Amino acid sequence: MSVVGSMNTFIADLHDLDRLVEVARSRYSVYAPVRRGRGYVFSKIEGMSDTDLRYNRTILPPTKIFHRPKEVLLRFQLADGPEFGEVVEVEPMMIFGVHACDLNAILRLDRFFTRRFEDPYYLARRRGSVVVALNCNGPRDEYCFCASLGTGPTVYGGYDILLTEVRDRMFLVEAGSEIGANLIDEARFRRASMSDMEAKKAVASTAKREFRRYADFRSLSYPVIEVLAHTVWDEEADKCFSCGNCSLVCPTCYCYEIYDTLDMDLNSGFRVRRLDSCQLYGYAEVALGGNFRKSRKARLRHWMVCKFGGAAGGELSSCVGCGRCIFYCPARIDITSVASRLREAV
Amino acid sequence: MLKIGLFKFSSCSGCQLSFLRLNEKLLDLVDKLDIAYWVMVSDNDVEDSYDVAFVEGSISTPEDIYSIKDVRARSKVLIAFGACASFGGLNSIRNYMVQKDVEKIVYGSSGALSVKSIISYPIDFYVDVDIYLGGCPPSLSDILEVIKASILGFKPRLPDYPVCVECKLSENECLLVNGEPCMGPIIRAGCGALCPSLGRTCEGCYGPQADPNPNSLADKFREIGLSEDEILCRLRKYAGMHRDFRGIAKL
Repeated sequence: MSVVGSMNTFIADLHDLDRLVEVARSRYSVYAPVRRGRGYVFSKIEGMSDTDLRYNRTILPPTKIFHRPKEVLLRFQLADGPEFGEVVEVEPMMIFGVHACDLNAILRLDRFFTRRFEDPYYLARRRGSVVVALNCNGPRDEYCFCASLGTGPTVYGGYDILLTEVRDRMFLVEAGSEIGANLIDEARFRRASMSDMEAKKAVASTAKREFRRYADFRSLSYPVIEVLAHTVWDEEADKCFSCGNCSLVCPTCYCYEIYDTLDMDLNSGFRVRRLDSCQLYGYAEVALGGNFRKSRKARLRHWMVCKFGGAAGGELSSCVGCGRCIFYCPARIDITSVASRLREAV
Repeated sequence: MLKIGLFKFSSCSGCQLSFLRLNEKLLDLVDKLDIAYWVMVSDNDVEDSYDVAFVEGSISTPEDIYSIKDVRARSKVLIAFGACASFGGLNSIRNYMVQKDVEKIVYGSSGALSVKSIISYPIDFYVDVDIYLGGCPPSLSDILEVIKASILGFKPRLPDYPVCVECKLSENECLLVNGEPCMGPIIRAGCGALCPSLGRTCEGCYGPQADPNPNSLADKFREIGLSEDEILCRLRKYAGMHRDFRGIAKL
């Protein structure tokens, strides 16, 4: 990705952005936040009227587009010598309106899925994709806490196009890659003025000061007794449902499980990858019913310490402050308040 | 050929109907499956042995006790087929009343006096159960999974995680977070989050998930304004007899 200078800074209203979507749709499926009940989901859109750029957060993060909640990995046939055929579903995609927290999560998954082994399924979808990021002008609601983790509210890289709402429904548009620059070019936006660019700086500096929710996970990721033996785990585990919501909506939770399903002929079948959750009893279950994390407390602690940056995934699975786990926890377990209790002890 | 039998105790026959709803999928299995006993569709006599018995319904009369033990003795694998067989099901809501009063309500003071009812128990109160298929009725995919696994001699892959997982994978809104009394967090998946996907709260027909926390859910229900009676009704509706819910459902 080449860095494009401020010569390539533009200003666009929703009507202009509609043109960008139209241009993009000739090449890409465009996914953006779309209302579902009281929430939002990333879905295919046809124009700006389908989406709402003032959305707070989607139920599942946009990482779902690359790391699918459920996908078929391969088809197989057993009789006459086993045969296997990979199934990789790819379509060129534009992900429109990605917040800083979720973009940081995508960048972490990029590293996770390319570390020792490249994940062909993730990469096939990710490599051809275009990301249109959207700066936040402050917390989207009281659940956001990216500012204290340095993962938002302003985006600093990893995008093809970056939008900042500098005035009411007026967006400063910047290119972060050649693909982005070309798309902007085709959409024929007006060049931004100096005051537009100044307005972006002002937005960025005030945005991070408006956060009320705060998290500090430093020194909580080490297996020290003050963290592991704290009574807060017992108290929270009493409330916890082990429902898995927190990890299933988490943009940095990538754990999955793989299983085979046979067709009715009991010969052919397919292999499925499905998002898993360490909060589920079966997650750490092994042969003969052995289980490494039988108690809710052990599972809850494991997940949070992972989000603090301490479990196997390390910083690649750590928290980006999107607030989903707090909002979607039916038991109102709050990782930021657990962390502050723990911080008092270490 | 896998020889199977479908047996019925106190129930509505809905689980058997679900088996019938496999439709053409049953045809795919005609050369692998010998349906040797199924009172709903044929008048075959009971045979000496079955590879797999699907047992629908709870045990609610003295005769049932004898019969379920007989089915068990004839079957290599016994499947509790549906909510009634697995946890007592809807029938078990009468367990919280005096049996005599229930008989009077149902049969009147004069009629059907020969009917003797006992506490409605899931079949595992009397016999060992190998596989539990919850649901009112069980999903077709779960039924197919146990049939395929039985033919091949695999352990069937049945969800033990909660409905919430299926809701999240379908990206449904969370009804409970929205303040509606959904039982999803403590109830086993398998239905594909059928009710919540249609905007209806989970009623709990699949019974408890692997590690449920009904006490916390009761607290949550209180928080959103349910009365103690309403909470009890929800916990008792399908699986109040299950050991995971019994304590809080107050049998």
